[in-house]
Amino acid sequence: MAGETYAVEVDRVVKRFGSLRALDGATLRIRRGEVYGLLGPNGAGKTTLIRALVGLVVPDGGTVTVLGRPARNLDVLARVGYMTQQAALYPDLSAEENVAFFAAIHGAHHGVREALEFVELWDRRGSVVSSLSGGMRTRCSLACVLAHKPDLLLLDEPTVGVDPLLRVQLWNRFQRMAADGTSILVSSHVMDEAERCDRLGLIRFGRLLAEGTVPELKGKAGVDRLEDAFLKLSEAGAE
Amino acid sequence: MSGRRVAAITRRLLQQFHRDRRTLALLFGAPLIILGLLGYLLRGGGDVPVMGVVNLDAGPLGAAIASQLERTKTVSASTMSEAAAESKLRSGDLAGYVLLQSDFSARAQQSRVISPQIHLEGSQPGLSQTIVQAVNESFAALVGQAGGVRFAPQVMFVYGGPSFDTLDYFGAAFIGLVVFFLVFVITIVAFLRERGQGTLERLMASPLRRGEIVLGYMLGFTVLALVQAVEVLAFCLLVLHVHNAGNVGLIFVLEGLMAIAAVNLGIFLSMFARTEFQAVQFIPLVILPQVLLSGIIFPISTEPGPLTVLSRALPLTYAVEGMRNIMIKGADLSWSSLQLDFGVVLGFCVLVIIAGILTLRRRIA
Repeated sequence: MAGETYAVEVDRVVKRFGSLRALDGATLRIRRGEVYGLLGPNGAGKTTLIRALVGLVVPDGGTVTVLGRPARNLDVLARVGYMTQQAALYPDLSAEENVAFFAAIHGAHHGVREALEFVELWDRRGSVVSSLSGGMRTRCSLACVLAHKPDLLLLDEPTVGVDPLLRVQLWNRFQRMAADGTSILVSSHVMDEAERCDRLGLIRFGRLLAEGTVPELKGKAGVDRLEDAFLKLSEAGAE
Repeated sequence: MSGRRVAAITRRLLQQFHRDRRTLALLFGAPLIILGLLGYLLRGGGDVPVMGVVNLDAGPLGAAIASQLERTKTVSASTMSEAAAESKLRSGDLAGYVLLQSDFSARAQQSRVISPQIHLEGSQPGLSQTIVQAVNESFAALVGQAGGVRFAPQVMFVYGGPSFDTLDYFGAAFIGLVVFFLVFVITIVAFLRERGQGTLERLMASPLRRGEIVLGYMLGFTVLALVQAVEVLAFCLLVLHVHNAGNVGLIFVLEGLMAIAAVNLGIFLSMFARTEFQAVQFIPLVILPQVLLSGIIFPISTEPGPLTVLSRALPLTYAVEGMRNIMIKGADLSWSSLQLDFGVVLGFCVLVIIAGILTLRRRIA
């Protein structure tokens, strides 16, 4: 699939939950090998959008293309790593057993050690997850989506509850992976994290209000701070 | 101690229950359903044991006893030929029959001993006991009239025997039930835990097919369930010495099928529960009525008519019947009744596996 220009293409996607429109015509494109930040407040539609990319949410309208194929394609899912907001792990298995399991269901037989070393948990590989700290669990959760060396990483607020030092470490790792060719979608509502992304999509009310690099977004809003740009573009989008 | 703080806890608890309609429905509905079912079973005018009377006696005593038995309300007795009685006993249509020999009246007058032959099907001690008691009572009435006559029946069993007791009867059914019940509870809770901790969402976002998830679960739990089945079987046969006239391998296969059915029923029903707390509520709703209606405690033949139909629709009925067919009657797969039992349990397994796979997706959304 070397010819794919975009790792993700979301075109006018609509998803309703009863009377709530969680996604209201969301459109975005993520280029291959870039770190794309999906920025928006709680309830903006970030998680719903990511779940639509892995087929957990079936859109009521619009199209979702992942790695050149329609979403919920099993071959594509083998090349995707989805890290949920909650560190979804088996608490009574060790860190290594968790990573090995998720690697196996993605068809990978190697890469467990590399993934655990990448998140600096190799020394704690034998510890059961329930005995790990919150930050370690987050790292273990990340290792679970790395072992099969995905082409696309979907990280749903991966740094929530993570201390500042670890957050910096994680972002350095995301950028290293992107440099190696992995496309990464990171959702966040933390502005200083967003500054580390190659491009940003501002989402609110289930719609992409604006898209671009950090300087482009600041320029579009005519402000110096990303936070102000987000507020200004949000107001414009709500009108 | 602060009354206000205690009241806060009490109030919070009631508020939670107020929002959990299902728990409230279970709390107030389930006792009525279970007790109502029990009441209907015991007082619903179900059938009494069916028995035959074979009267070959040339004298007057045989006819008097036959007539006495036909009037008895604790059994449903009717006169028939010896061949018909034997055939019906073997097919399970009769719980027993009493045979009054041609010299019955003469021997009673000469030796002052009344010794009829009571032939019992024997697989259900409760029914056997009722028949022996009915025969005993009908003779007691006559012995009372004759005076000085001793009653010494010869009791013969098709299955079981004089040493066959209640544990033998219940043990056969419980071997399967224990495995079914425990495996069901463990599976439904484990599957909900998978969802609660978010790992099911990860599985569903992976290249795993739904069938692979269900099959993986099924195999994992089945391994555990089969080890448990071996343990339960060994304990019942070697320690409790539960009567077994059949092939141990067949018992194990049926236990294994019940375990597979329980695993997949657990996976399927986990769709209808949001929490482990709600999952546990399936026990009184799913398991208890089956225990009451599957013939484990009350023979289906003595249930009120409408409940018999319901019992015949429950898969556990066939599992219990199959276990008893093997262990008490020594049935093998050449028996049509055991073929039916295995067929229904196997069919139920397939049904819940398909239902589990088809409904898996809805659990994530």
